[in-house]
Amino acid sequence: MTDRTDPPNTPSAQGDDELLPCGRLLSRTWDDWEQQTDDPHLRSCPHCRQAVHGLDDLESVVRGLQQETDTTAAAYDTEPLTRRIMDVVRLELRPGRPLPLGEPAEDLWIMEAVAARALRAAAETVPGVRAGSCRLLDGGGDGGDDGTVEVRLDIHAPADAPLPELAARVREQVWEAADRELGMVIAAVDIRVTDLVPTSMADDQEGGSA
Amino acid sequence: MAGPRTQSAPPDSRADTDDALLAVRAAEGDEDAFAVLVQRHAPALIRLATSLLGTGTEAEDAVQDAFLSAWRRLPEFQGRSAFGTWIYRIVTNRCLNVLRSRRPVASLEAAGDVAAAEHTTSPARITEGRDAVRELREALDLLSAEQRACWVLRELDGRSYEFIADAVGISQEAVRARVFRARRSLTQALGAWR
Amino acid sequence: MTAPYETPAHATLAAEVARVVESVSGVAFLRPGLTDRLRSVVSRPGVAPAGVRMTRPDGDGPWQVEIHVVVLRRARTVDVARGVRDTVERHLDTLAPARSAPQVTVKVTGLV
Repeated sequence: MTDRTDPPNTPSAQGDDELLPCGRLLSRTWDDWEQQTDDPHLRSCPHCRQAVHGLDDLESVVRGLQQETDTTAAAYDTEPLTRRIMDVVRLELRPGRPLPLGEPAEDLWIMEAVAARALRAAAETVPGVRAGSCRLLDGGGDGGDDGTVEVRLDIHAPADAPLPELAARVREQVWEAADRELGMVIAAVDIRVTDLVPTSMADDQEGGSA
Repeated sequence: MAGPRTQSAPPDSRADTDDALLAVRAAEGDEDAFAVLVQRHAPALIRLATSLLGTGTEAEDAVQDAFLSAWRRLPEFQGRSAFGTWIYRIVTNRCLNVLRSRRPVASLEAAGDVAAAEHTTSPARITEGRDAVRELREALDLLSAEQRACWVLRELDGRSYEFIADAVGISQEAVRARVFRARRSLTQALGAWR
Repeated sequence: MTAPYETPAHATLAAEVARVVESVSGVAFLRPGLTDRLRSVVSRPGVAPAGVRMTRPDGDGPWQVEIHVVVLRRARTVDVARGVRDTVERHLDTLAPARSAPQVTVKVTGLV
């Protein structure tokens, strides 16, 4: 923000403000217009009305510009842009660290982000649940590295669901996915409900994910 | 590139997952979640960048750069604001930099004078039709980068002064001053007043 | 994972390993994916195929093989990884039975 192209000596509007013949500043008259201030002077003063008329005229041209912009934007296909962006993103992936698959000594690994994605998807098989952060931490207690991992998963839950029961179902799905789909040994699954989603919305989501 | 990757979306429904969750997933390395954010926000951001810059190709570049910057910075983002607000701010700043590099400092001092001296066109004609819009576009090119940005966010994008101050990184006072100056230049340029 | 290889024979061996890995049930492709896979088909001499790194730190000692692979979601990931490891071990063993067993590391870098 150091490269100011505004003149440095006119930090406020006063620099090029104008005193209208009625004694009001142009900036105030325009400000009142913008705020839709109910002021009898604005309605009666010819100078203020003229000044406001200028803005009204500008507004009508602005609406024309908006329409042109809307038309252009509506015709714009974001697909190629999205593809270009994602092509670069895929050259700069953040897969996280490798986590052990199977038995500790097997030298088989799965990247953290890949496992997290699978476990989030498993959590979302419980109706209305949306998964957020999914961290995979070294298991085996204090500093121990026995090749197991602990899952810490944040979810949004439907507002009307009994939470302990819901958390238990999510935990079960995550555990099962880790075991049956991936083949990871999970020491613990810690579920945190970070938000409650209104039920009608949760129903919609359920429809979408079914 | 598209082949195996497009199939990689797990069979969940991301379309109805809110931005905050997608941003957290993307921060943790889920590029598919990021792709949803790109698809969701790109149209509005393209519109914003086009309004700010006036041209399509530069707007595309600004939006692309902004998203790549967002992908790199997501791990530190940690949901301090809504993703939409954050990316909006990044795009605005990209566009401001483009505007600043585009125009030499000197031109804007002259801009007001030229515009003021030129209002020979009839107000009745100028406020109608495509000619008026074209003249407005030309008048916008004469504004300073900050004036243009503040005015566009206010008038074309309907944002509050508070929001603009946050997006541009200046005080609300400064935003008001720039919008005022922009309006003044534009009304003069359009010959719509006096 | 495109380390230059010491000899063309070395690179050919890595390409051979890549081929057998991709034939393992449940393997979608070797990382980093289609573009690189197409490139590896062209098989420039001295360049490793994507997703396979073979080294022999002790000169004539056992191979150290690292495989980066994208696995099909419908398969159990660990089973596919084991299949890859076993296949590579078997394959290297048939090529040079007398050598000591290779050390094979498998990393799953994606599920599709």
